[in-house]
Amino acid sequence: MISSLASFPMVFYKGRFMALTLSAKQIVKRYGGVVALSDGNLDINTGEVVALIGANGSGKSTMSKVIDGVVTLDGGQLLLDGNPVNFSSPQAAKKMGIATVFQELSLIPQMSVADNIWLTREPLGPGGVVNRKDVFAKTNELLSLFEGTFKTDLRPEVAVSELPPDEKQIVEILKAISFNPHILILDEATASLDSRQVNRLFELVTKWKEEGRAIVFVSHRMEEIFRIADRYSVLRNGKTVGAGNISEVTEKDLVKLMIDKDSVFSYSRTGKRITEKPVCLEVKDLHSHILHGVSFNVHESELVGLGGLQGQGQRDLLLSLFGDIPFTGGIQYNGKPVHFKHPRQAMKQGFALVPGDRNREGLLYIRSILENFQLPSWPRYGFPLKIGQAKKDAKKMGASLNLKMAGLQEPVSSLSGGNAQKVVIGKWLMRQPGLLLLDDPTKGVDVGTKAEFYGLLTQLCNEGKTILFYSSDDEELLGLCDRVLVLHDGKIISELVGAALTKENLVSASLGVANGGVQ
Amino acid sequence: MKGFAWGGLMSRYPALFALVLLVIALSINLILQPNMFASDTLNSNMRVFLPIILLTVGQAIVMLGGGIDISVGGIVSIVNTILATRVGLEGSAEAMWQYVAISLLVGALAGAINGFFISYLRLQPIITTYATSFLYAGFALFILPNPGGGIPAAIAQFYRTTIPIGIPLAFYVIAVVVMLWVYLRSTRYGGFLYAVGGNAEAAYKTAVPVSRVIFSTYVISGLMAAFSGIAITMLSGSGNADIGSAMTLNSITGVVIGGTAFSGGVGGVVGPIMGAITLGIIQNIISFAGITTWWETLAKASIIVVALAIPGIVNLFRRRE
Repeated sequence: MISSLASFPMVFYKGRFMALTLSAKQIVKRYGGVVALSDGNLDINTGEVVALIGANGSGKSTMSKVIDGVVTLDGGQLLLDGNPVNFSSPQAAKKMGIATVFQELSLIPQMSVADNIWLTREPLGPGGVVNRKDVFAKTNELLSLFEGTFKTDLRPEVAVSELPPDEKQIVEILKAISFNPHILILDEATASLDSRQVNRLFELVTKWKEEGRAIVFVSHRMEEIFRIADRYSVLRNGKTVGAGNISEVTEKDLVKLMIDKDSVFSYSRTGKRITEKPVCLEVKDLHSHILHGVSFNVHESELVGLGGLQGQGQRDLLLSLFGDIPFTGGIQYNGKPVHFKHPRQAMKQGFALVPGDRNREGLLYIRSILENFQLPSWPRYGFPLKIGQAKKDAKKMGASLNLKMAGLQEPVSSLSGGNAQKVVIGKWLMRQPGLLLLDDPTKGVDVGTKAEFYGLLTQLCNEGKTILFYSSDDEELLGLCDRVLVLHDGKIISELVGAALTKENLVSASLGVANGGVQ
Repeated sequence: MKGFAWGGLMSRYPALFALVLLVIALSINLILQPNMFASDTLNSNMRVFLPIILLTVGQAIVMLGGGIDISVGGIVSIVNTILATRVGLEGSAEAMWQYVAISLLVGALAGAINGFFISYLRLQPIITTYATSFLYAGFALFILPNPGGGIPAAIAQFYRTTIPIGIPLAFYVIAVVVMLWVYLRSTRYGGFLYAVGGNAEAAYKTAVPVSRVIFSTYVISGLMAAFSGIAITMLSGSGNADIGSAMTLNSITGVVIGGTAFSGGVGGVVGPIMGAITLGIIQNIISFAGITTWWETLAKASIIVVALAIPGIVNLFRRRE
């Protein structure tokens, strides 16, 4: 299929790649004050699929970026067949035959599928002119690998920005394999694929393995790991806590390794209730760009989870409720119909939205903790400003959230990820909201702080606040929520409650195969 | 929905808006100046537009790569003062050639200074080139404190009156520039340019040499500014250290009217060329409409602001629907 092996002519022999081992030893990587990896270890052998497993924020993505040369090491080393190597840039790693399918994708939205896949390796004609015909032909060859799994007519000349998430993901996969890599890293490559596409990918992975490639499979989906991996390596809190052959362990063993002994889910709500309190939020037939008819009710002081694969409309739903994006459909809050056209109106009614991307949407990064806490609340401190009172209230909030800070005047940028997220939640709690909308609030938050969050959410519910909670972490939804609404393709495909709220049901509903729960 | 199709067309062909604007401006100009397509009139217009067109092309390349170059006017001034002081009114054609070559080197060097700060020291393009614009403008003043000097009249005359087969010289220059762009666009470098402007982070991960590409855009911009300086010197025939200062903003406006986005990665060079011509024609219309000089700046700026706002207004009404 791919004949040119410009960078590594020696590795390909009689249709197979030469055997080699790449080992990462005691890798340390810090981002500012946050330690992403403190003791990361991984052995990658050709002809094998190794699963890199861990909870969200355990350092999986960082580990794959270290191997691919995107980030530089703060400690430890990489060994290629026992000899130290150093990838100072993605170029260096690519030269060694390493390619990555990035979780956040590495595509240029405005450029076409073909241009994206062959960027830096475009076939050239006379005068250095890119041979478009060749590019398209080679792209079609690659696209044929996933033939029959596309919902749209995916052609080489279409701009990537026009593709749905699953097809973007496939383009990213094809781009990585177009490098003809010796080592292929798949970082959450299945997250937005449907089951048919996942099956196709796994057939290909099996083939690639037989060709003598090494595959690193980064995922938190147990079922997929057991289907495809030969070996496993588990990360917890930036440390490798176990590795071995997948045939010698059970799913339970791996989960045990992934989760601390005193698991954060000891905080899960005792005796989840189906509340008899009145309905406080009623959503009827909500439509938007991405949502296609969403209806549900939320009871007072209920903690309702939104589940499903990423990008199925969870974020749109929260933003619609908060009046941040236009939508059609009916919303009733406390019995009154509301249709917010601006977040200000939603705030007045006691809504609060904790956005997903805290650096971009949640915080004024270089401003002080005090300013961030009080940003939505300044009008309450009147004119002239009662700055003393504002400080006192912010201090109280900081203490109640157990915020670790040097002082209220310090910029938010001085805080760790978890503490910064506390500020985002705190700034809304200052307003005593009745309904909290949370958009994946624990993403990139350390385990200790997560546990505090879970405690906080439970406490808020017990105080009578209502919470609508989207999380990309299934464990969180299972551990915390009274009820989980699973979204798929802009619709609620399944409602899981009580005994039906199980991991199996949640995962299968996420993939669009609703076989459990109340339909 | 008619409006929607129009929007889709606009996003696919960003230069379309520039073309529409150009046709409107041309039509109005034609009413005010019926003989504008006569060979002589056309030439006297195009030789005035050419320096801005060249400058706009360089600016477009920088903006495609996600940057901006505010120092181009300063580079034009340096080149103008070098030619006016070193070649002189009595100079020879050889001296002219020699200093044209030196001018191009100076332009590339000035661009390289910008590029070094921006791509290797990771400074903000707008701050860096704002600062270097004073450096370059100051250097031009150092070379030629008071307006004066010049180039041989014959050379200026050649630029002003050459009309091979009845088509103004400027069109040949534009044709060469467009052909070079079409070539550049179809090489790997062209792809890198769009990739870096579209998403530098993703380009880096794909092993695109991001720093080198950004560096190169400023060198190209410096070179184009030098060409622009040579053209404007031949047009005016004399030296003035302040000659380039008003040209920077025009080059940026030309690019934006031409559908090349401020954010980078979208557009091309042909749209900005049309944008630059449109700007020139707007200037024409104002002179022919008999607007007093006091109102000229205001009138010109109003037309440009409205022209820039049209795509946004179209979008606003689409959202309302």
